[in-house]
Amino acid sequence: MDAIHTYSFFFRFCLVAALAFPLLSFALSFYISEKYSWITSVLASFLLLLGTLASAVVLYQAWNHSPFTYQREWFSLAGYSFSAGLHINNISALMLFIVTGVSFLVHLYSVGYMAGDAGIQRYFAMLGFFTFAMQGIVVSGNLLMTFVFWELVGFSSYMLIGHWHEIPAAAEASKRAFIINRVGDAGFLVGLMIVWAHGHSFDIAALQQLPVDPTWMTLASLGIFCGIVGKSAQFPLFTWLPDAMVGPTPVSALIHAATMVAAGVFLLARVHFLFTVPSLHVVAVVGCITALLGAVSALAQHDIKKILAYSTLSQLGLMVVALGAGSPQAALLHLFTHAFFKACLFLAAGAVIHTLHQAQHQSHVHFDVQDIRNLGGLQKKLPFTFLIFVISGSALAGLPFTSGFLSKDAILTALVQWKGEGFSWKLLILAAVALVSFLTVVYTFRMIWKIFKGTETATARLYVSEPPAVMRAPMAVLAGVSLWIWFSWNPFDFSGWMYVNIGEAKPFHSGIVSIASAVWVILALGVAYFTRQVAFGSSWLLNAFYFDRFLKQFVEKPILQLAALTHHADKKWIDGFLHATAYAQLVVAHLTGWFDRAIVDGLVDGVAGAARGLGSFTRSFQGGKIQLYIFWATFGIIIFIIWTLL
Amino acid sequence: MNAPSFLFYFFEIIAAGAAGALLFVRNVFYGALLVIAVLLALAGLYILAFAEFVAVTQILVYAGGILVVIIFGIMLTTRLGGKPLVIEHTRSISATLVGLAFFGTLVYLLSREPFEAHPAKAAASTPLDTTQTLGVLLMSDYVLPFETAGILLLMALIGAAVIASERKSKKV
Amino acid sequence: MNVPVHHFLYLGAFLFSAGLVVVISKRNTIMVLLGLELMLNASNLNLVAFNRLHPGNLQGQMFAIFVIVVAVCEAAVGLAIVLRIYQEYQTSVPDDVNELNL
Repeated sequence: MDAIHTYSFFFRFCLVAALAFPLLSFALSFYISEKYSWITSVLASFLLLLGTLASAVVLYQAWNHSPFTYQREWFSLAGYSFSAGLHINNISALMLFIVTGVSFLVHLYSVGYMAGDAGIQRYFAMLGFFTFAMQGIVVSGNLLMTFVFWELVGFSSYMLIGHWHEIPAAAEASKRAFIINRVGDAGFLVGLMIVWAHGHSFDIAALQQLPVDPTWMTLASLGIFCGIVGKSAQFPLFTWLPDAMVGPTPVSALIHAATMVAAGVFLLARVHFLFTVPSLHVVAVVGCITALLGAVSALAQHDIKKILAYSTLSQLGLMVVALGAGSPQAALLHLFTHAFFKACLFLAAGAVIHTLHQAQHQSHVHFDVQDIRNLGGLQKKLPFTFLIFVISGSALAGLPFTSGFLSKDAILTALVQWKGEGFSWKLLILAAVALVSFLTVVYTFRMIWKIFKGTETATARLYVSEPPAVMRAPMAVLAGVSLWIWFSWNPFDFSGWMYVNIGEAKPFHSGIVSIASAVWVILALGVAYFTRQVAFGSSWLLNAFYFDRFLKQFVEKPILQLAALTHHADKKWIDGFLHATAYAQLVVAHLTGWFDRAIVDGLVDGVAGAARGLGSFTRSFQGGKIQLYIFWATFGIIIFIIWTLL
Repeated sequence: MNAPSFLFYFFEIIAAGAAGALLFVRNVFYGALLVIAVLLALAGLYILAFAEFVAVTQILVYAGGILVVIIFGIMLTTRLGGKPLVIEHTRSISATLVGLAFFGTLVYLLSREPFEAHPAKAAASTPLDTTQTLGVLLMSDYVLPFETAGILLLMALIGAAVIASERKSKKV
Repeated sequence: MNVPVHHFLYLGAFLFSAGLVVVISKRNTIMVLLGLELMLNASNLNLVAFNRLHPGNLQGQMFAIFVIVVAVCEAAVGLAIVLRIYQEYQTSVPDDVNELNL
């Protein structure tokens, strides 16, 4: 890297353009009339293509140069100024490109997948908006700004999961995802507050120079980690992700595989310097639990998308473990590779679902096309999709010559390096990760077997054709980048150009790990083949150990009870207090009213009455009664005499 | 106590008693009679104060003239049927209070003053025949007031007659 | 006769006060006139009593005579008015004649 790189105007333009195109897509999607809604899809894809090109320029220009930073005051409050800033380094430039690129591919895919959908404008609008928000997280050089985009991402995710909101499950799942994310975000906000209290800055570059106070830093980093747990669907806030699969499949590919759930890992890598050793341990353990849980649960699922969702959980867990092991490079590498192959898997699964749906539509046969028990033998009917599935599935499983092998290798190497010499609990983590990688192979190939091999059952009588080219092209591109060649020249050495350039750590490469990993994976492949017919029918696994129910029982219920209690308290005490206050005010009002009537009005009336009394009194002198005149005259004379003579 | 002193207190008691009874009496005719009693008692006192002419005038004019006129007035204002004219009292309390206050004030003021006889004049001889002296004075020193009083009487006579006369024709 | 002059004066004061009370409290015009006579007589008594303190002088008695004369006039005119009021209003109660009331 050179010392100070001056960025051209063109770079800035491209940076702004990369962010502006998705936003433009979002805005334009509302302006196109309902009648020509197909224009929306094409236009949005085109705009995203432009955005991808712009981000490619950004990546090209920013790669291996000193970070581009831009900062200006956003608002000031109580004498503190809050700045908003951009921070583009290798990681964020690469991430920006991947996000925009995958988003473009998903847009393109959606043109075919969502054709004829009633809410297509809303769909593409929210897709554009999501892309913009996600890009915001990536380029933001400021935690506060990150948080804002973080929330926007959550919102657009909510909108997209609930795209088919007329289905109760979708509405439920979107609500759920939003609320569970909110729980994590509360922790994130607390972490941000602690950071602010200590550094009076949200700027990531400035925070790096912050003196470390271990206790507070641990708390702050754990708070931020809470947000990451929510967004990246880590244990214990993972349950929303499998449920979110009711959304459109491209959305699952984009949001719940490639970008949004990766945002947590990305942020974790970005603020890695904030994490102290204890909190990193927490991170590693949480990641490990998630990885295991996801892998085991994926084994038992029947729904294609659910399998992929649990697999995503598991892979995210692996990334988090790598981060906890102090290797953001490995985590990010896995994040990037995973973004491609998992998006590819989702798109391929979407292709299967889409084509079967359409075939069902024609033949009026109805069964759950997402259930792999109804599938089988589709290889003949969908050879292209099968190929894609195999390539991306191999990458997920981590077979050699795929990107997944490289990144998994990186994680394992990092863990081996992290556990150090001797026996400790870290070895357990390593073992768990090894088990996860083993299980990954098993469930991946079981799924592929069930869908494409064997004999056709329910689909036998359906006329199934390959998806249209507009859907096949993105799948092909993504499958292509699932190969090793894009990440490292040597298929057995993960420390290629990308790994070296996304972190400062010296590449540590152990050939033994690579070989062991390869052997391990192939062993797993064999196991997968022999157990392909075995149904892991445990309802525990199917429901992710009933964690949902556990949450419901032990978290939701007490919270609801607490809510009822506080509601009661609110009703009884606070409302009572308010009522009492209101009543007291009423009483005071009555008192003042009485005072007004009796004293103030009384005073006035009294004066008037006194005047009237005096008047009638004096008038009585003029009563026309002669004797009375005499009386008063005499009275006056007496007074006069007494006054003068006595 | 000699005879004149006795007579003096006798007349005083009669006058005071009749005046006091007048306060409570409700029949106008009795009231008029009580006033006559007071006037006669006062005539007696005048005599005791060496004012024979005044006393005689009192009896003639007051008791014999004014009171008779008043009794005529009583008779004229009483409705037909011969029922005695009984009246009510009003403002008894305030009237009593004023009366008492006035009386108290006067008594207090009078009692403060000694009212001794003028020593120089006391030596001078009192004219034995005040009636003659008064007659001379009326025709000499007080002739103008005397004539004026005559005119006043005439005017009162004519005025009374005019006022009291019936003027039905002018009534609307 | 060595009666102190004060006894005359006290009686005069009493008669005057009594006349005053009668004037104020009696609901009959003739009684009011009687009260007036009483008051005039009280003053006459005073005049005569003071004249007694100045033996060589008859001004007090002279005044008393004139007072009597004026009282005659007053009584005559007053009675005429009373009769006239009685004719006009068919009443001899002074309070009923309150046309001075505004």
